[in-house]
Amino acid sequence: MSLLSIQDISCGYFEGIDILHDVSMDVGEGSFTGIIGPNGAGKSTLLKTIFGFLTYRDGEILFIDEKIRDLSPFQIKKLGISYIPQGINNFPHMTVRENLLLGAWTFKGDKDRMRRGLERVYDIFPVISSKRNHKAEFLSGGEAKILSIAKEMISSPRLLLVDEPSAGLAPKIVSYVYEFLRRSHEGGTTILLVDQNINQAIENSEYLYMLEMGSVSLEGSSQMFKEKLKEIIRDSLIGA
Amino acid sequence: MSIKATLFPIFMYAILAPLPLVSGEYYTHVLNISFYYVVMAASWNLIAGYTGQFSLAHHAFAAMGGYTSALLVIHYKIPILLGIPCGGILAGAFGYFLGTLCLRMRAIYLGLSTWAFSESFRITLSMSYKLTRGDLGLSTPRLLETAKAFPYYYIFLLLAIVCLCIMYKIVHSRIGYYMRSIRDDEEAALTMGVDTVKWKRFVFVTSSLFAGIAGAFHAHYIGLLSPVSVDFNEMAILLIMVITGGLRTFAGPIIGAISIEILSELLREYGEIRMVLFALMVIVIMRVNRDGIVGIGRTVLPRIRYSTTY
Repeated sequence: MSLLSIQDISCGYFEGIDILHDVSMDVGEGSFTGIIGPNGAGKSTLLKTIFGFLTYRDGEILFIDEKIRDLSPFQIKKLGISYIPQGINNFPHMTVRENLLLGAWTFKGDKDRMRRGLERVYDIFPVISSKRNHKAEFLSGGEAKILSIAKEMISSPRLLLVDEPSAGLAPKIVSYVYEFLRRSHEGGTTILLVDQNINQAIENSEYLYMLEMGSVSLEGSSQMFKEKLKEIIRDSLIGA
Repeated sequence: MSIKATLFPIFMYAILAPLPLVSGEYYTHVLNISFYYVVMAASWNLIAGYTGQFSLAHHAFAAMGGYTSALLVIHYKIPILLGIPCGGILAGAFGYFLGTLCLRMRAIYLGLSTWAFSESFRITLSMSYKLTRGDLGLSTPRLLETAKAFPYYYIFLLLAIVCLCIMYKIVHSRIGYYMRSIRDDEEAALTMGVDTVKWKRFVFVTSSLFAGIAGAFHAHYIGLLSPVSVDFNEMAILLIMVITGGLRTFAGPIIGAISIEILSELLREYGEIRMVLFALMVIVIMRVNRDGIVGIGRTVLPRIRYSTTY
């Protein structure tokens, strides 16, 4: 069963200039799907469109067979989709705990669930647990990235949209981040990962899509991508 | 709410209650006005400090509350205590309108639009002289029969404490975090599932409501309303108060409003030069510590404690 189904969407930031052209994708329940492609292919735009930051001109996006057109990001978040943007998006003047609470308030009223979510996140990420009362601006780059991820995970989303988790991080933290993504996938979260780090994307995903100039140019299992890796890099990333 | 938190405002009221006995008639009046400014400054801090929406129309909302209440009382003979909330509600409604208008504006654009709004409001007030008596000023009925400052002191003290309690509750609740998240990074706030449109509107409405009510109380105390109260100087004073005390801190506007108002009375003989002095003070404070007096206190106090213990 597909959790998220993208059907022929076209959209862009300005009228008349489309970034995505008739993009279709299927993200199965419990799957780990990767999107790769060169700079400017529209990978991040696609995630922003799914999360409601951009309205699409044409096509339809279905989440659990329900249309999510015209929904605001906060409404989409309530449906069970979380979005981890590129870079760090913490609130620097708030403490780590307050940052996490902000993520937990999607299910306000349910204090028990909030507390459990908070404890679970502290368990998974001991790094931020020890700094829970520090202001977020005093975290190191890696810790801050982990906090950005943790505060999305606290609401235990059904679908996690991840945009370039490795950008600007030290290699050691990068592997930690990927390991975490793998673990949450094993825990039942469906993941849609956008990455420029092709090797990591192919390594982790089960199924991949390749975007080029705003359309899907190739799709297939990670096995197929592994076999064709050399050609892919030669043809599209360097330019034939 | 814990017992301590409930008792604290009552305690403050009790402590401040005997103050007029020593301050004398004139300084009681100054205190009344400074309590009015406490409400104004603190409610402006809600919108500018906590939510990051640098609105320059706060003084206009106060005047709106004052004029609405005064006109209703004069023309429809409603009791003053009913007129004041009406003034607050109208100001809140216009806050909703202005907030909606400015939803997509940021920083300087928001400042300019809200400033344009308050200027238009001032000109409208002067021009519709048949209703508002324009620049001649509208004499408003007083809340109490007397014009003496003494009894009003207790009203304004109560007003300030009640308003501050409500604001404290807002700032320290879930909504307070939403407000700060919008200030820090609006897009990240959306990603976190914060309905930014709703909460920005909420803050505009709430802070205008406070301004409207405070403005109405002020109008029924002073006994005179004129478009001068929508002059930009009025907004500038609010800005100076909040920035001197400490933008984004809860105590900042309170300290700022009271100290600036008293200082401004002490320097009255220097006339408009005061504004230059205040401007210099703001520049110095911005250089020394962006969190104003509260920020300076936060950095200096631990050092003093440190140097006395070792």
